[in-house]
Amino acid sequence: MKQNIFFIFALCSILFGASSCKPKYSEPNLSAGDVNAARFVMIGDGHSGGYMDDALYCDGQKNSLAELLGEQLELIGGQSFTTRFVNQNSVGANPFGQSRLKLAYKEDCNGVSSLSPVRVATQGDISIIATTTFSGEALYRNFGIPGMRTTQVLSPNLAQFNPYFARIASSNTVAPIEDILATEPTFFAIYLGMEEVLKYARTGGSVDDLPSVADFTTAYEEIAQQLHNQGAKGVVATLPNVTQLPYFRTIPYNGLNLDASTANLLSAVFGALGYTFNVGPNSFMIEDPDANAFGVRQINAGELLLLSIPLDSVKCNQMGSLFPFRNEFVLNLVEQQYLNMTINGYNDAIRTIATTYNLAVVETAPFYQQLFSGFTYNGVTFSAQFVSGGAFSLDGIHLNAKGNALLANEFIRAINEHHGAVIPALNANAFSGVLFP
Amino acid sequence: MFFKHLTLFSFLFGLISSSPLWGQGFQVNFQGQKQQGMGLAGTALYQDGSSLFYNPGSVAFSNENSANVGFTPVFANVLYVDSTTMQGYRTENPMGRPFHAYGLFQLKDSSALKLGLAVYTPFGSTVQWEDGWIGRFAITRLSLSAIFIQPTVSYRINDKLGFGGGLVVSTGSVTLQRDLPVQFANGDYASASLSGSAFGLGFNIGVQFNATEKFSLGFTYRSQINMKVSDGEAQFNVPESLNANFPDGTFSSSLPLPQVVTLGLAYKFNEKLTAVVDINYVGWKAYDTLAFDYAVNTPSLQDTKSARNYENIFAFRGGVSYGITEAFTVRAGGGYGRTPVQNGYVTPETPDGNRFYGTFGLGCQVDQKLSIDASLFYTQVQRADTNLETNLSGTFFTKAVAPGLSIIYKW
Repeated sequence: MKQNIFFIFALCSILFGASSCKPKYSEPNLSAGDVNAARFVMIGDGHSGGYMDDALYCDGQKNSLAELLGEQLELIGGQSFTTRFVNQNSVGANPFGQSRLKLAYKEDCNGVSSLSPVRVATQGDISIIATTTFSGEALYRNFGIPGMRTTQVLSPNLAQFNPYFARIASSNTVAPIEDILATEPTFFAIYLGMEEVLKYARTGGSVDDLPSVADFTTAYEEIAQQLHNQGAKGVVATLPNVTQLPYFRTIPYNGLNLDASTANLLSAVFGALGYTFNVGPNSFMIEDPDANAFGVRQINAGELLLLSIPLDSVKCNQMGSLFPFRNEFVLNLVEQQYLNMTINGYNDAIRTIATTYNLAVVETAPFYQQLFSGFTYNGVTFSAQFVSGGAFSLDGIHLNAKGNALLANEFIRAINEHHGAVIPALNANAFSGVLFP
Repeated sequence: MFFKHLTLFSFLFGLISSSPLWGQGFQVNFQGQKQQGMGLAGTALYQDGSSLFYNPGSVAFSNENSANVGFTPVFANVLYVDSTTMQGYRTENPMGRPFHAYGLFQLKDSSALKLGLAVYTPFGSTVQWEDGWIGRFAITRLSLSAIFIQPTVSYRINDKLGFGGGLVVSTGSVTLQRDLPVQFANGDYASASLSGSAFGLGFNIGVQFNATEKFSLGFTYRSQINMKVSDGEAQFNVPESLNANFPDGTFSSSLPLPQVVTLGLAYKFNEKLTAVVDINYVGWKAYDTLAFDYAVNTPSLQDTKSARNYENIFAFRGGVSYGITEAFTVRAGGGYGRTPVQNGYVTPETPDGNRFYGTFGLGCQVDQKLSIDASLFYTQVQRADTNLETNLSGTFFTKAVAPGLSIIYKW
């Protein structure tokens, strides 16, 4: 009898223990604030359209800034966001018809094998860039179009020379803004200008087609105004200091490691110009027409070497030493100043336009600065280190899926603050990063 | 009858002790069912062999030989709600299995000298987080277990004063697993597993003072024990191209199990009603850093030092017992403990906070020799924090229920 009571007591206790001791999860109270998320459009370039690993491909698109924002806005009443995805199995394509990059072993000119970004296929999926205009019924709402510049949003012939727009354009004489407005957007995000400033930066300042601040401002305002006139609210993003991207920070200025005989040879060659070389690390040689009669000099600390430099030529063919780097591989201090001045001009314009049309503003400079300095997010340290930093794709320019999620969280924070919304952030660690063999 | 108990004894002895986190820090306070029923207090009151743990000085006042085995399955669950994504993640902890086993002997009847052997599990935890949880790069699983073996001598100077002490030999093991933020070609994350056995030495001493027939005092000191892992095994499951960055090898580490000073009071109102109060002061300040020293370092695999910065804390416990009949006793109690974990240092392996708890117990004297005690413990804790090291920011909700049972045989 007494034992029975104990038995029952024990049994009840265990049942009680098993059933009642799970804390209850309450669903968060989300709120749209003054956002009408019904029809969201993204307007930008490859940085919002999911271009990464130097190509447009399906997994990149699925994890684009546009898609990630679209997904979160669906939580506060957005209709299903639409992107024209390329085939899931496609190797992707950049504007030159090359496939996306992956990390794999590659043998250099010395026969040394190491992990490097390599193309997943010898040829890209050119069907992506050969597509004629889209003839389906519904318009896509992801206008993150690789290569699209701010002024081109208003250009009626963009589809004729940008295949990434052509594949979603309703005709080959339509301006992107027309298709954008035709989706009847209720909310928009604009992340334009990256294409322009990066074109200049990636060519080492050798191609200067940076729009003047005035032209940029006019085009940007036109876009914002047209959307505003349709009653849409939105969020705009300023531009970061793009020279903090891994593309500009991976090859050190003093990465010329020399043995004694090479050092002596170079000292003999360039000694007359006042440049001497020592065993160990030395500053690379670059072309600079203003330097002296020969137009070459050693690079200074603070000047940036670009990831476009063919490293095999450096290792085996004396590029950067006997044959100094050409201008297209170097962003010197004057070029950096010009670039930063222009970016600041664009950003001032973006902020002013945001004030005029009551738009939320995402300041991307602090975000990229944080990556540049390194920061810890849910136990993971992210940085702008090439490959190992975690947030950039293998082209060293575009964010990968994790990076896009981190950036999307900045957009979400700006929207929440400005529009009084409660939209949850994304768990960036749940997205894919660099894959290792 | 006694042989049956022996079987149970050896069964329990064979279990690896471990229990989810529900005591302050990773301390587990389930060392006696009578004390558990009375709010985990009883330092100033000789109860049974479990007093070898609660106060080695008090067992000098026993007048019997006894064997005592008990088991307290712990069901603890943690829900973590991330502050930015607003998503919830849960632990899938296995049932905690703290046990205790005591043998208390006198060489002859009414002898002033008692000998005892205590085996118990005052620290331990297994925290297993659900797959893919947001803090996976901080921890996916921590299993910490320690068995304390305490041979004890207790001596009664007179009817009022007794003291006792025991050497504590502690053996245990620790396993820590987490994911690493590098991905295989198929997208899976790499992971690290650190495991090792630990060993430590300490002592437990106590004084019992029966001031009057009704009122008694107890004072105990349990020393800090440093559980040292000297030859742990570090295993890394990483993509082949990173094998050289994360070489499998050995590591060393150590974890301090803190000293505890306890003052206990007991008052017998009458034959039936007794009340006890315990005040613990726990030296958690010893846990300032969790360090892992790898035998082989690489640029990717550096020794780590994580600040814990625990603080010393007080815990207050109290309870009553009431004898309904000769055979039946009911007990109830509760307590409050401050958390040793400061803001900024809350981790998913010890999502600790200030806590209240309640307990309930039943005792049954089956016959002259055999008695059975049962207890039930319940607590819930809520702690919001942003960890300074990982930047994990959210709220931990913990609930724990622990029913316990023990059998005592006296002769």
